[in-house]
Amino acid sequence: MPAAPRSNRNRIILVVILVLCVTIVTLYVRESDKGPLHKIQNFFLDLVSPVSNAFAKIFRPIKDGVVNLFHLPSLSKERADLQKQVAELQRQRIETKEMESSLEELKRLLHWTEGQAEIETVGADIVGQSPNNWQRLMIINRGSSSGVKKYMSVVTDEGLVGRLISVGSRTSVVELITDSRSEIGTRDQRSRETGVVEGKNDSTLRLNTMKEDADLQAGDVVETSGLGGTCPPGIPVGKISKVTKRSSGLTRYVEVKPYVQFSKLDKVLVVITPEPESIILRESQ
Amino acid sequence: MSRNRQIFLMVIVVLAFVLQLSVLPQFKMLGVQPDLILVIAVVVAVQDGPVAGAVVGFCGGMLQDIASPQVMGVSALTKTLAAFGAGMMKDFFMTYSILLPVVLVFLATIFEMALHQGAMVVLGQEQLPPFRIVTVLAESLYNVLAVLVVYPFMRRFKFPQKEDSVVLTKPSKS
Repeated sequence: MPAAPRSNRNRIILVVILVLCVTIVTLYVRESDKGPLHKIQNFFLDLVSPVSNAFAKIFRPIKDGVVNLFHLPSLSKERADLQKQVAELQRQRIETKEMESSLEELKRLLHWTEGQAEIETVGADIVGQSPNNWQRLMIINRGSSSGVKKYMSVVTDEGLVGRLISVGSRTSVVELITDSRSEIGTRDQRSRETGVVEGKNDSTLRLNTMKEDADLQAGDVVETSGLGGTCPPGIPVGKISKVTKRSSGLTRYVEVKPYVQFSKLDKVLVVITPEPESIILRESQ
Repeated sequence: MSRNRQIFLMVIVVLAFVLQLSVLPQFKMLGVQPDLILVIAVVVAVQDGPVAGAVVGFCGGMLQDIASPQVMGVSALTKTLAAFGAGMMKDFFMTYSILLPVVLVFLATIFEMALHQGAMVVLGQEQLPPFRIVTVLAESLYNVLAVLVVYPFMRRFKFPQKEDSVVLTKPSKS
């Protein structure tokens, strides 16, 4: 009867694995960010990121090739459209040059905002993405050795990308504003109404305002308010794309389309000054 | 399971882990990438039994947990249970064609994703829902495509043990 001991052995293996998993999960959740399991994870993140980045660079041309194959039939139409756009852009370029000089003057006159003048950034490359489909995370090649700290904001010239939720020595994890756990204090640039923008794990955001009857319109620009202490004020987040009343008529659903195109992100800036703590302190004074 | 098969599975899990982190994010469809480690764990559960699948699910899931920014142990736990469950379920099906791993991978993906999401909610890492049915179905179908390649490939490397092979001898005259 050799089957019985074998089945017992299998049962023991399974129980050991399950106990091991539950123990690791419990220890990981209970320990601080500087605990041994977090340190092991950060070490491996540092180790894996360059490899992952190298593979991404190797496979990007193949991916682009495959994508282009699918779009081949529509390319001729696209070419005609692009030629029209080029003509239009050339006209706009001349207009823009004229406007640029006047804009520079306006910037100086308005001093822009004091907060933005204080902003110092450090550039970073995106070297990895979230391994599962439930989180919207990215890994960048900057860590504590570059002066980067937890909760620092990540931006591009288009607007806010997210904030750092984990910092290793040479890599960090960015929680994108589209992640369902992301909550950013914002305000409407036109009406100055404040609220909180939440991610939904898709391409749009949801804006929850302090007042239910807040003055919000489709097309309004939403920027960071600085409240909450992690993001400096005045960083563009997105544009209100939809304001709809719920069927009950009591609440509204405000949808915001982010300015940043996350699928095309390659390089980002980490806001190192003002630091998140200093923002929190300044707000409390 | 033969020693050669064990070595082969170790190599396959590490290779799948490298592909999962590096190549597969470049080939997302509908914003979703296949879960190669889960697919391999289910295939092993079908070919070598539920415990072997659970061990592969644990090792692959743990590698994924260690080298990615998520709660350590959750993927290992969910993949262990999904592969073990798939291995147990295979006895309920009266077929050994490619249809068996296809169905099991499809079901295991849905189960694993639900379990993973549930665990994250319980641990306070995720809010309810955003369990999007489109994401679940897209990953399940993507995994089914992957198993059509993985299953025949892994069957080629069965490495049967000596005692498993049948020896035909002539019946004695007495």
